[in-house]
Amino acid sequence: MNQENDRLAQVKRYSRASFCVECGRCVAVCPMADMYADFSIEMSPRGVIQKVLRGGRAILEDKNIWYCTECNAGTEICPQGVSCRDLIRGLREMVLEEHSEDRVSYCRCCGKPFLALPVENFVLRRLEEEPPNVRALLECCPACRRLTYFRRNT
Amino acid sequence: MEPDPAKAKTISPERRTGGEGGTPFLSLEDLRPSPRARKRLMDRLMPRRHGYLLFDPSRCTGCGTCEMVCGKRNVSLVAPASASLKVLRNEESGKNFALYCQHCRKPLCLEACPTRAIARGEDGIVRIEKLFCVECGICTMACPEAAPLRDPRTKGIHKCDLCEGDPLCARHCPEEALTYTRGKAFRWIKGLRWTVQAASFLLLVFILIGTFCFFKAGVVSLSCPTGTLQNIASTKTIVLTGIFSALALILLTVLAGRLFCGWICPFGFLLDLAGKVIPRKIAPPRWMANRLNKYGVLAGAVGGSFALGYQAFCTVCPIGTLCRSYGVQGFFRGAELAVVPALAALEVTERRSWCRYFCPVGALLALVASLGLIKIVIGAKKCKKFSCIQCAEVCPVGIIDGNILREGVSPKIPMTECISCFRCIDRCPYGAAKIRFRWQRGVPGEEKP
Repeated sequence: MNQENDRLAQVKRYSRASFCVECGRCVAVCPMADMYADFSIEMSPRGVIQKVLRGGRAILEDKNIWYCTECNAGTEICPQGVSCRDLIRGLREMVLEEHSEDRVSYCRCCGKPFLALPVENFVLRRLEEEPPNVRALLECCPACRRLTYFRRNT
Repeated sequence: MEPDPAKAKTISPERRTGGEGGTPFLSLEDLRPSPRARKRLMDRLMPRRHGYLLFDPSRCTGCGTCEMVCGKRNVSLVAPASASLKVLRNEESGKNFALYCQHCRKPLCLEACPTRAIARGEDGIVRIEKLFCVECGICTMACPEAAPLRDPRTKGIHKCDLCEGDPLCARHCPEEALTYTRGKAFRWIKGLRWTVQAASFLLLVFILIGTFCFFKAGVVSLSCPTGTLQNIASTKTIVLTGIFSALALILLTVLAGRLFCGWICPFGFLLDLAGKVIPRKIAPPRWMANRLNKYGVLAGAVGGSFALGYQAFCTVCPIGTLCRSYGVQGFFRGAELAVVPALAALEVTERRSWCRYFCPVGALLALVASLGLIKIVIGAKKCKKFSCIQCAEVCPVGIIDGNILREGVSPKIPMTECISCFRCIDRCPYGAAKIRFRWQRGVPGEEKP
């Protein structure tokens, strides 16, 4: 437990989460607002940062950390240099090290986790008109897809 | 969620907002015009085309010069990892492959991008608008080739934009494995075919009336093979000259496949024209969409002629009707000519649906074409699978299976169904579709050296 708290503190420090001034710029640029109908303050980067700062390790059980696409927008715009992406990435790594999480999709080819499930669902929903064999390929991680393409063409 | 066909062209509010029951709200898409906005007429008639960045795996040595010059352009550093293309190397097999954006005709990244930062320009180049891009990497997740690459240093996304028409990688490739050309599409077969079709339409329908069914000039006589068969069946006598005159078309079919159907048939020309105008809206019913139907019609035509004592099918044959309708016999002989628009209306289901499923003339030629000398091959290794599939789209008889091609398997093209219009060969920008002799083995990209 103590080790876990250390790890959480490390993630906080690395992402500069404690410098957050709650200005909300990251929420304004966050693409999740366009992606999910149920976008809420708990899901937004500001909400996650505040929950990390106030609630401690309760955030690890929260489903809201799995919606993020790990983009660069919030990190780039933050006046305080808080990196919400590094924060979320660190939290996800902590969870995945503890137990395999059913909120992540695993590559069909190499079996490694590569994408949070809500994000994958978003992609598949956008591409629902595509033929099934194209959609099946999207279940592999990018590295495996490139390998498949490489093998098919040489 | 049932996809509404009427809304299939645009993204429905449900899909946009993510999930059922989501209330539509203003999003970036409302501010920016949809990339699928209707094209202007001139752009439709004369589309501005971008060139094709072609890659030849047999020439590539894996030196990585392309990555270096590309990375230099992206981040002003000689940093191969920051390039928009990636050279995949396999040390065991010694094969190398350059992976880069193929500028799909229907880009999946464009569909998936949450901020609509990706747009396909009118010149066909798919670009990421840096202003809107948040570098979330969803384009990489949506691309079947995972071609948009993440820069490990800046964490940004780089995607090829063909250097706006003069790719540095092609310019600097020492082995000329990467080349930037206008593609390997012929694009002149189309004009030639339409000219031949129009000329033969004029000739058969307006100038030499009734000549498709039977034509005689001195000792040379030509006739329709199906008509000859029916003639034999109805009169129960075999006239040798009739058989010889039917042999001309048979011989052409043995030499070049059903060239008649694709290039000469006046009704086929009419169907091609009608297919340009008539929207294809209705899926054909089960009983109709069976390619064996036409053999049944052929058998019925011959059997009917035998029983009735006159050429049963010829009275309603759309080709014959077209050829006989003009001229001295009477301008637009009403009832008989009504067959033509009635059958042309079948275009509302699929292109050339009459030829695919019913035409007995085509059926007889199809039987002959199975002994033909040529075949059409499409090499999946040369083909760019996900980004193109133009061949399957342009094929008027729908015998090219785009899905098999996407799997990386060369499709087998049944020459009995192929009408030898050579649209696929005309359009393929990668030189994957070729005409081969029947006995030749291998497909483009897979031949033994």
